[in-house]
Amino acid sequence: MPHRDRGNLILGLAIAAAALLILLVWIPLDAETGLIERVRRRVSIGDALAPSLAAGFLLIGGLLLALTERADPAAPRLTARALRHVALSIAILALATILMRYAGPLAVEIANAVAPTAEGEPRSYRLLRDTAPWKYIGFVLGGTFLIGGLTWQVERRLRWQALAVALLAALAMVAIYDLPFGDLLLPPNGDV
Amino acid sequence: MGVAEHIWLGVLAVFDGPTLITIAGIGLPVTPIMVLAGFLLGIMVGATPGLAGPIAMAIALPILISIFGFSPDALLPVMGFLIGVMKGATVGGAVPAILFNTPGTPDAFMTTLDGYPMTQRGQARRALRIAHFSSVTGDTFSDIVLILCAPFLAILVEAYLDLPEKTALLILSLSFIAAVVGGSAGKGLISAGLGLLAAYIGTGEDFYPRLSLDLPALSDGFPIATSVLGVLIIGAIFKEMEGLVRSPPGPARAARNAGTGMRTGAETGTDPGTGTDPATDPGTGGQGLKPGDLRRILPYIGRSAVIGTAIGALPGIGSTLAATLGYAMGRRRHARRKPQGAPEFGKGAPEGVAATEAANSAVSGANLIPVLSLGIPGNAAAVFLILAADSIGGFNPGPQVFRLPSEGINSELVIAFGLFTAMLLANALNWTIGGVFMRGMGVMARLPKSRLLPVVLLLTLTAIYVQETSLTALWFAIGFGVLGYLMRCLGISPLPFVIAFILGGNLEATARQAFAATGGDPFFLFTHPIAAVFMALALAVIVLTARGRKAPQ
Repeated sequence: MPHRDRGNLILGLAIAAAALLILLVWIPLDAETGLIERVRRRVSIGDALAPSLAAGFLLIGGLLLALTERADPAAPRLTARALRHVALSIAILALATILMRYAGPLAVEIANAVAPTAEGEPRSYRLLRDTAPWKYIGFVLGGTFLIGGLTWQVERRLRWQALAVALLAALAMVAIYDLPFGDLLLPPNGDV
Repeated sequence: MGVAEHIWLGVLAVFDGPTLITIAGIGLPVTPIMVLAGFLLGIMVGATPGLAGPIAMAIALPILISIFGFSPDALLPVMGFLIGVMKGATVGGAVPAILFNTPGTPDAFMTTLDGYPMTQRGQARRALRIAHFSSVTGDTFSDIVLILCAPFLAILVEAYLDLPEKTALLILSLSFIAAVVGGSAGKGLISAGLGLLAAYIGTGEDFYPRLSLDLPALSDGFPIATSVLGVLIIGAIFKEMEGLVRSPPGPARAARNAGTGMRTGAETGTDPGTGTDPATDPGTGGQGLKPGDLRRILPYIGRSAVIGTAIGALPGIGSTLAATLGYAMGRRRHARRKPQGAPEFGKGAPEGVAATEAANSAVSGANLIPVLSLGIPGNAAAVFLILAADSIGGFNPGPQVFRLPSEGINSELVIAFGLFTAMLLANALNWTIGGVFMRGMGVMARLPKSRLLPVVLLLTLTAIYVQETSLTALWFAIGFGVLGYLMRCLGISPLPFVIAFILGGNLEATARQAFAATGGDPFFLFTHPIAAVFMALALAVIVLTARGRKAPQ
């Protein structure tokens, strides 16, 4: 069998193996009740039944793929290029999230160091998280980085114009989600 | 109260509901304005390659819920807006297909085959008018079928199906969706299985949240917004971006990046037939409908509307198949009856545009038949309607919606008739102002995808965060986005995943009730005749699809 024909076979067998692992290892170890539960002579469906049905779908799907569709020459395959693409996207998103999470608190720390309050009490980001401009710092910086980074990923270069679009888009989202609504929290202000 | 009173209350809920603004002492009701806003937004996103109705719905939902809150009064404005987006996007998808040979939405691909050649001949405006007329006719037909069929189907379900049968029906629906979406039964079942598994993590009836690996982050399960938006929207964005990265540098990449990658002979956006830019001047060289155009295209519209409606009524079968079938049927008829000298299908036949647009638009209304009568979403747009209903509360799509109480009113039935009214209102808007607005949207195809997609990604993540207020939810969404991307790379449709995720909880709850109601009969799916028939059909649809797939190999 030519190498290119084995994509579905490998995928099907991998899914079937994963389904068996879920069925025989994960569900028994990580669900309190079995398929059927008997409590005080009352029989009811246990917590393991529904996930077992899901694993059954996976098992049948994997076997079907491996047995009846294994020789599909047109079957799409996962390439190293695709994996590199998604890994780079995740890296950009991770950096953007870190920037989003810590830029605001860092700005507060810097402000405390550079310009202490008149009372001498250090500012706390937690108390300022619903106060402009502090509440926007993380979102605008992280959002601009996210858009700029992904634009760079696609275009393989970053122009000032693209960076300006990223900044404007992040500011526009502040205007859409935050300015009109007092009850919505932009990232990361629900976590800090 | 009878049916007529419920219908009237539904109409009043739309036109006599809460007012948004008051002009000259006259209060403007909020729902019609939201339908209009959604409709216009839908045309814009439909006309923008890389965007689609579900993306706009996903981004708008948290904003709408923030504006209108969680009261039952919010249902019609929010769902009316989403219905407007759904209908607008269907019409808007034809604009870049006709003007730039780039389908705005996947189901508009067949429109490029005849629409773009018409543009090349300087008939852009005529093609757009034909597309609009066909689309809105198909859509209206489909809505009428929905309004007539959904209540009767729901009444039948309520009358004849008990808990075991309803459980079997849910399993049949999942099997059917898994088997037919994407054309591979194996991959469809894998997608549905993953969706069910994700739905069951961190849930259950015991004190310990099952399959949570003792992790606090998993103990509440995955929020529905993270899984649905992750797999459907973020996964699609990753995949689109990969396509942009893969394009080789040079003019072709630039064109594709601008959302015009399929253009031929029109790299500058200039209409070869007229020397003008169709994005800004679709009417140059052209003309509106010619005398006799309607008489020529009506038979094609009629057939395609029936095909689209029939396909739309089956959950999971998308508008792309409807458009393909409508086009194929139209081509066969055209080959037999083509007037002397008229262009063939694929070479700029107005009938080709009509057949495609009527078919893909007729899907949207009929797709709500399984949603409203059975609670089973049939496509991505329906998923967001269910999501809205689920988030706001007070309306649970399913057969009980159409239950007529012996006394008093069924508020869910009033909402259902309010939704029908909103759909008809959206159609009226489509007939009157839709064409004008649509023809002005050519400029949307100029937006560069490489700039647009990252912005949409941040918008989606922000929409998820404002609902869940947790960075963990963002990571779940990104994780589901990666899953959606990998599924697309492997040719696995994400739609069965999403539908299974949404139906998973309902399936388990119904099965638990059925098991209890049958006195703990473990074979309740096979001892009740109708349930047994549904289970046999579920098996048959998988086997037949798998065999059909194997045969060509």
